[in-house]
Amino acid sequence: MDLQTFNQIADLGKLTFSDTERDELLHDMTDIIDIMDTVKNADLVYDPLLDNKNVFINELRKDKAETSFPTEKILKNARNMNNCFVVPKVVE
Amino acid sequence: MPGYIPVIGLEIHAELLTRSKVFCNCSAEFGGDTNSRCCPVCSGLPGTLPVINETAVEYAVKAGFALGCSINKFSVFDRKNYFYPDLPKAYQISQLNLPLCINGLVPIEYEKDGEKHTHNVRINRIHLEEDAGKLTHNDLEGVSLADYNRCGIPLIEIVTEPDIGSAEEAKAFVEKVSLLLKYAGVCDCKMEQGSLRCDVNISLMKPTDTELGTRAEIKNLNSIKAIGRSIEFEIYRQAKALDMGQRIIQETRRFDDNRGETRSMRSKENANDYRYFPEPDILQVNITDDQLEGIHADMPEMPDKRLIRYMSQFGLSETDAGIIIADKEISDFYDDVVMAYNNPKAIANFIISEMMRRINLGEITIDDIKFSPENFAKIVELSESEQINKSNAKDVFRALIEKPETDAESLAKDLGYIISTDMGKVSEVIASVIATNEKAVEQYRNGEVKVFGFLMGQCSKALKGVATSKLIKDELEKALKI
Amino acid sequence: MRSALDKKELSATELTETYLENIAKTDSKIESYVTVTADIAKEQAKAAQELINSGKSSPLTGIPLAIKDNICTEGVKTTCASRMLENFIPPYNATVMDKLNAQNAVMLGKTSMDEFAMGSTTQTAFEKKTKNPYDLNRVPGGSSGGSAAAVSARLAPAALGSDTGGSIRQPSSFCGVTGLKPTYSRVSRYGLIAFASSLDQIGPIANSAEDCGYLLNAIAGFDRHDGTSANRAVPDFTSKCGQGVKGLKIALPKEFFEEGATDFVRKTVLAAAEKYKSMGAELIECSMPSLKYAVPAYFLISSAEAASNLARFDGIKYGHRSEKGSTYGELVLNSRSEGFGREVKRRIMLGNYALSSGYYDAYYGKACALRQEIRAEYNRIFETADVILTPTAPRTAFRIDENITDPKMIYYSDICTVTVNIASLPAISTTCGYDENGLPVGMSIVGKMWDEETIIGVTDTFERNFTKISAKAVK
Repeated sequence: MDLQTFNQIADLGKLTFSDTERDELLHDMTDIIDIMDTVKNADLVYDPLLDNKNVFINELRKDKAETSFPTEKILKNARNMNNCFVVPKVVE
Repeated sequence: MPGYIPVIGLEIHAELLTRSKVFCNCSAEFGGDTNSRCCPVCSGLPGTLPVINETAVEYAVKAGFALGCSINKFSVFDRKNYFYPDLPKAYQISQLNLPLCINGLVPIEYEKDGEKHTHNVRINRIHLEEDAGKLTHNDLEGVSLADYNRCGIPLIEIVTEPDIGSAEEAKAFVEKVSLLLKYAGVCDCKMEQGSLRCDVNISLMKPTDTELGTRAEIKNLNSIKAIGRSIEFEIYRQAKALDMGQRIIQETRRFDDNRGETRSMRSKENANDYRYFPEPDILQVNITDDQLEGIHADMPEMPDKRLIRYMSQFGLSETDAGIIIADKEISDFYDDVVMAYNNPKAIANFIISEMMRRINLGEITIDDIKFSPENFAKIVELSESEQINKSNAKDVFRALIEKPETDAESLAKDLGYIISTDMGKVSEVIASVIATNEKAVEQYRNGEVKVFGFLMGQCSKALKGVATSKLIKDELEKALKI
Repeated sequence: MRSALDKKELSATELTETYLENIAKTDSKIESYVTVTADIAKEQAKAAQELINSGKSSPLTGIPLAIKDNICTEGVKTTCASRMLENFIPPYNATVMDKLNAQNAVMLGKTSMDEFAMGSTTQTAFEKKTKNPYDLNRVPGGSSGGSAAAVSARLAPAALGSDTGGSIRQPSSFCGVTGLKPTYSRVSRYGLIAFASSLDQIGPIANSAEDCGYLLNAIAGFDRHDGTSANRAVPDFTSKCGQGVKGLKIALPKEFFEEGATDFVRKTVLAAAEKYKSMGAELIECSMPSLKYAVPAYFLISSAEAASNLARFDGIKYGHRSEKGSTYGELVLNSRSEGFGREVKRRIMLGNYALSSGYYDAYYGKACALRQEIRAEYNRIFETADVILTPTAPRTAFRIDENITDPKMIYYSDICTVTVNIASLPAISTTCGYDENGLPVGMSIVGKMWDEETIIGVTDTFERNFTKISAKAVK
């Protein structure tokens, strides 16, 4: 795995690494990708229909509104203000 | 813009009118205090699982029927992964390879340069997904605040083929889709509340080109007007750039309503690698032929059918029927009024000439009409049976808007509009007018017919609320001939 | 224990106090609990005793239990043994907790695990790196190492764990106890902090297969909060206990004994098979050619799902929030990088790699196809066999200081257990011998979908004819 790919993947998962961590992980990942690559030898194609659990539309949840959670419980583990989650300012 | 052909595709997001959210039992109603319609599931707490709402699937299928789609009897949900503060799970549950509906067709009609055009727009797919939350920006504290009430409201995304060639076609298409979704009863299509939103993909090509040009995507347009203006601007901008030999960058743009311009949004790195994969927490949804038939049978009457009914059963002209069905709420109201008073033509006339005129003038909206269809029917009935005259009928209508609880007939009475048709009084007044206007009568009898108007006016004045104009006219003519 | 409570030879409070005292005395050495909920336990025991006194007890009333720390408990910290959730207090209960509370079971505390259940040593835990009660210098296995060690060290009579690729069975094997991974979707996952959604199952760890059956009776069943939970009747899972194995067909897939085990483990498990034969079972040799793909397929599926499941930990809504970062992007990046440990980051990286555009078909798509193939191979074996017997782990518990860093070594140690998760099957691990260091050797009985009754019964038969050597009491 090259550094550019590594950095792209790290960004997808929103992770950052020190140089030592990065070098270690880069090495590990190369080893693990070797293991992962063995699946390419299997001559198989995925068929979504084989995973069908045969659940039909009428068995799904009925459309009924229930009482929601108290707002303070939703926000209990978060930094909050005016009953909202506080996010550093988002620039679009 | 000579020289270039615009190639436009739309993505329309429509919120479904279910009672509860798509993956939890929180209310799906619009609004509410911030974070008051949330639970562990829609606020993305760890350990929670989505459980799909049957009605959301059913409504998406109905939308598919309304837009002429085929329905996938085996449909799969997928995760679309990206980080954004309005998306608490950091993935949106959506559908990629096996959406609920595919291959639809929506015929549109529109006017351009005074000419009527018709056009077909193909629908690539309709899939079911969840809405995200809302962010507000607090400049004072330099932070953004996240409200998850909207998280998990069921949403369908309607994706067209790039079959649209102009702003007019795009506007007509969105209007038609709104109408169809409203008739299907699956979305209220209130763009100002965000229950219907539109993204535009647009590129230009030369007639000689064999491949499509590079496209720009304009995100989150929330009015029909903005759709039209942003497309016009984008055609202008891209054409200018191409004329100058510049390349068009594939990017996401935002439309600034105040300036009437689109502007590039800060491009997010990796933003388009959504790493879709089948959502393991939701089982695939199967629908049998019987179930599809059931949903189809449950579809409300769609506008094309209603148009035919208005023409064949009610005897309306195609123009009048078309005007009424173009607004579902008005059309539903019309049907209710006809139920109360079986005179569809007269009711249609009154609705078009008075009610819709007021609405179009912006004096009232359909929501202001709070009185019952029966009450409305009464106004038309009074007018048709000549118990009140036509202009007074309009006054009663306006008065009822102010006092929706009152009864139309007693209101007309209070206003002194009810015509008593007292023949004795009519003869008496006409005789008196003839007697006091000898000269005019003389002139009329000598062939100066224009003075009839003067005499008629004298009679009408004195007979207000006693007889209809027609009756007065007939009686006056008779009297003058003697 | 149930009968002692019901006959009032022992009060629920005495029972709970005994375990709490054991924990206070020895858990500083074992480090199996992240949080001990002594006050809650005492209160629950008191309430349970009142029910027992009024003759209204359920099978688990007054029974103390340890709960793996990735199962949400309302008002009680649920950390997943991660810095990320160090202070996370769920505002809701997992469905299994509601079910245990409905029976007035007693919660002793929350047990340690590999961080976010990723690992097989419990050494990736942020704080409590649990030790093996048989030898404190050895790992207890993982990821449910805390639960298995607690039961093994008599710090709980039974516990709940979770199993994604062997996380109940392998630590049960290392710690000399019995652990059951139910059929996928038998037990609601609602409130289980997800590692890999299509593989995760909650299950019991106890001193016997029969006890596992009692616990499963309590936690199994349809849950309207879990769209993947099965809407089917819950039988009495202990119904086949004590019935013997006469005429039972036991399949031995040869690959599990070739690549999957050290000589000693192989010999011990095969001896157990012979014992079953002597009790009237029929042994069938069989093959599972796709076993060679099992580890990478498991690794791809679990990492991909984990990368997505763990994306929600952004420092905004709950969990570790970095002090660094002035924009949303920076805050998320720093919170995640500070909150997650190395193994978790590694899996997130690999999962995103496997899902990213350009690699999806070659990796994730292929892994899903292999999952279907592995299922098909199990189905073929079950055409002629009632259960399958395999080792639970290739070797017995290893030393903490062996410090295995080669990822290949680490991941292939799961080879005996992962196919069961891939195929959604139920499986149970019990002790079938001890090595030269006195460490337990585990064997697994794998059953058909929904047939936990049979594997519990088959395991129970073995356990009734086997002399267990408990872990020495820690001083």
